[in-house]
Amino acid sequence: MLKRINKFEYFAPSTLAEAISLLAEYKGKAKLYAGGTDVLVQMKQRKITPEYIIDIKNVPELNGITYSPEGELRIGALVTHRQFAISKNVPEKFTMLKEASLAVGSVQTRNRGTIVGNICTSSPAADTPPALLALDAGLKLVSSTGERTVKICDFFTGPFKNILKDTEILTEILIPDLPENSGGIYLWHSKITEEDETLVGVGVVVSVDNLQNKVCKQARIGLGSVAPAPMRAVKTEDFLKGKILDEDTIGQAAEIAANESLPRSRAEYRKEMVKVQTKRALSQALKRIEG
Amino acid sequence: MDNKINIKVNINGDDYSLEVEPNTLLLDLLRNKLGLTGTKLACGTGECGACTVIMDGLTVNSCLVLAAEVDGKNITTIEGLSKNGELHPLQESFMEEGAVQCGFCTPGMILSSKALLDKNPNPTDEEIKIAISGNLCRCTGYKKILKAIRSAAQKMAC
Repeated sequence: MLKRINKFEYFAPSTLAEAISLLAEYKGKAKLYAGGTDVLVQMKQRKITPEYIIDIKNVPELNGITYSPEGELRIGALVTHRQFAISKNVPEKFTMLKEASLAVGSVQTRNRGTIVGNICTSSPAADTPPALLALDAGLKLVSSTGERTVKICDFFTGPFKNILKDTEILTEILIPDLPENSGGIYLWHSKITEEDETLVGVGVVVSVDNLQNKVCKQARIGLGSVAPAPMRAVKTEDFLKGKILDEDTIGQAAEIAANESLPRSRAEYRKEMVKVQTKRALSQALKRIEG
Repeated sequence: MDNKINIKVNINGDDYSLEVEPNTLLLDLLRNKLGLTGTKLACGTGECGACTVIMDGLTVNSCLVLAAEVDGKNITTIEGLSKNGELHPLQESFMEEGAVQCGFCTPGMILSSKALLDKNPNPTDEEIKIAISGNLCRCTGYKKILKAIRSAAQKMAC
């Protein structure tokens, strides 16, 4: 039973500028705080003992889900899994990210936890990263000295590790429009434990030339819980490019995905499940293009 | 580093002005400062749901909420469900259907059910199962819990 957390000073800034300046001032000693579903657990486990907590929930700039006329979806740092899953601002083509959000934790966790928090914790078993990898999401990182946008495939560096500096805030996720004739899906299954952590998660986006010939123009596959960090199945993506997406090709692609996954524990089973889930995900993503 | 924080919060319909430590959890505020011990501590890491309360209409695990951040919020705990000595239909149904064994998960289970029925008065079994999926019952009495929630939904529809 985990109960207590260390003493700290609590700040609840009301502007992004204020949050960034606090972060710069207490560099390395402060922890950004939104939903708290990961931060407080890490504090209870004494994995982190921040001297300052910067609660960003009162920063209005970090709210909101917007879809631009150019087809880009923007998700603010404070958007919870629940808010995203029920949002009417999310076009149907991005449904797979709703599926990934609904795979996170329990109702109580989804009511508080944010998608950006899920990314920042950088658990290898997180559910939204595989979907965001397949969607080729960009991440906007802002600090007192400037801002940069990185692709999510360049963000994770290891288990619970990423490139975010201790002066930076991940302010928003930017998901580019999908090409015509694209379909995506997120499939997962979980360990049967009290927290139902994801054992294998597969996010897939496939785009075809046209619906008749089903020639793969582009495929992006994100894998979760089968490597030290969420990963893109790049070899599988390269294999699929230009091929007709029939059952045989999809079966071969699933084999390649299993081979390029890097699970450590329960490796044999996880690889087998990568194969099963990748095959299902590719077939179902294709069906979604057909509508 | 001893910065106390003043909060105003509505709990079960009553307004409170409180002074809290930054590292006080909502769960501890409810149980230790306000004596609302119906909210239970079990895992402490947001897995079991025993500490579930409703905050502005949504269920949260109060073991993973800072007291400092509930300023301006409306919170419902299990103590807030009965009105003038009358039990809430969910509380009645849980008793009638034998959905309570050791009782430790019951407050959280009932609050997750209430949050569901407030938004969706006529849920399917699947919707009920999803709604209580963050509340673990170690006595494994889920079937009776499901029955009790269905029965409460019917009562509330009348």
